[in-house]
Amino acid sequence: MHHLDIAGLEARYGEHTVLSGIDLTVGRADVIGLIGPSGSGKSTILRVLMGLLPPVAGMVKLDGEGVNYADATQVRRLRDRIAIVFQQYNLFQNMSVLENVCVAPVKIKKRPRKEVEEEARALLAKVGLGDKLKRYPDELSGGQQQRVAIVRALALHPEILLLDEVTAALDPELVSEVLDTIRLLAKEGMTMLIVSHEMAFIREVASRVVFMAGGKIVETGAPAQIFDAPEHARTRDFVSKILRH
Amino acid sequence: MSYTLQFGQIWPFLPRLLEGAVVSLQIAVLAFCGGLLIGTACAGVKSFGPRWLARIVGAYVVFFTNTPQLVQIYFLYFALPDMGILLSSFMAVVIGMTLNAGAYLTEIQRAGFESRRASEMEAAEVMGFSRLQQIRYVILPHVAKVLFPPLSNQFIIVTLGTSMAAVFGVEELTGEAFNINAQTFRSIEIFSVTAGIYVVLTLAASVGLALLGRVLFRARTELI
Ligand SMILES: Nc1ncnc2c1ncn2[C@@H]1O[C@H](COP(=O)(O)OP(=O)(O)OP(=O)(O)O)[C@@H](O)[C@H]1O
Ligand SMILES: [Mg+2]
Repeated sequence: MHHLDIAGLEARYGEHTVLSGIDLTVGRADVIGLIGPSGSGKSTILRVLMGLLPPVAGMVKLDGEGVNYADATQVRRLRDRIAIVFQQYNLFQNMSVLENVCVAPVKIKKRPRKEVEEEARALLAKVGLGDKLKRYPDELSGGQQQRVAIVRALALHPEILLLDEVTAALDPELVSEVLDTIRLLAKEGMTMLIVSHEMAFIREVASRVVFMAGGKIVETGAPAQIFDAPEHARTRDFVSKILRH
Repeated sequence: MSYTLQFGQIWPFLPRLLEGAVVSLQIAVLAFCGGLLIGTACAGVKSFGPRWLARIVGAYVVFFTNTPQLVQIYFLYFALPDMGILLSSFMAVVIGMTLNAGAYLTEIQRAGFESRRASEMEAAEVMGFSRLQQIRYVILPHVAKVLFPPLSNQFIIVTLGTSMAAVFGVEELTGEAFNINAQTFRSIEIFSVTAGIYVVLTLAASVGLALLGRVLFRARTELI
């Protein structure tokens, strides 16, 4: 059974169709790399999956079970299992690093604070932020904030992690810190959908690459196929342009 | 004709002035806290509530911010008894000032609610926060930080506004000053000491509030 099964997904912003006919199957511990030009709908797929933008057609199945996005209870249950890291971090500015990570598990999921804090400390230490627990987001660099956002998502114990351009806003030196974190997760068997412009990284970490353009999936394949021998002209064009950078 | 300042004559009355100051502070704290509750609820309604309720709140705010506070309290004190609701002058003043502060605080707080961060709300939403939990954990602390300085200002305004209670015979700071003036006719001395006490009150309040803001919200307020 597939961990995540997307079929015929369609989404609109007002009258404007931004996704159509999206079919994608994701196995357990798969790492999907989502690539494509700006405005092709990569972020929108993640937003639809999280229930932030209700789809107008199509089907999303989690472990073979269909999700009805119009049903608030089902959406809540889905958000228990899928976590997202936004491109702009979206950290809570009024909370310290530790509080950012702990607030949802403690206040929303009602897990014991002591246990959650212990786990948060361990996770933060693992990504090199062990000495920043009491800092506030505006006192951290972009790379540090990004890692807090990843840890915050992990503290929710998701089965599936969605990462939107987690390296786009970072300095090159910081990129490697964040990528190391993601690499680690991939090794530990987390199912992930990663939107990224870092082709070298996608090539290394993804088990499958999805190329999108104009709200549609153009081509799906192993990294070697997409980057070295793409079938479609549109893919070839994009890959050659972005690799030349 | 020359007027000789004789502060000596009014020193014996200082304890009465200070007692009055305590009453002033009581009115201010009651009206401000009550107003804060009303303002928070009303701002929440205006930003997130159903439209019909937001309209009612809007009417309340327009009414109380566009009529003189003195008239509002007059209404409570003199008109309500005709309808069978009898209020002591102290209560009339507190209720009137609470409703008035509530209207101003609604507007102030709404500005804070509108400055909420959509992206943080979205993050909270996907982490499973309900709408109310988003307000409680994300919006209110953020709003509190943004609003702390204007709220402190409003507290000072309310404190100074309590002098209106004197008109209704409440023996707060200004009321006591009136009384002592009637006994001694040392107007300049009495009212300059009274003004001095108001300055001390508001100064202490602003310093105290600024320090509190720093501790609670990391809010940077200019002390003077
Ligand atoms: N909130 C919105 N309202 C209206 N249209 C939107 C909104 N967000 C995105 N769009 C449109 O939806 C389309 C897909 O946007 P999306 O953000 O998914 O692209 P993307 O592939 O993530 O691009 P990028 O690489 O620049 O992040 C674009 O045409 C965009 O203009
Ligand atoms: Mg995007």
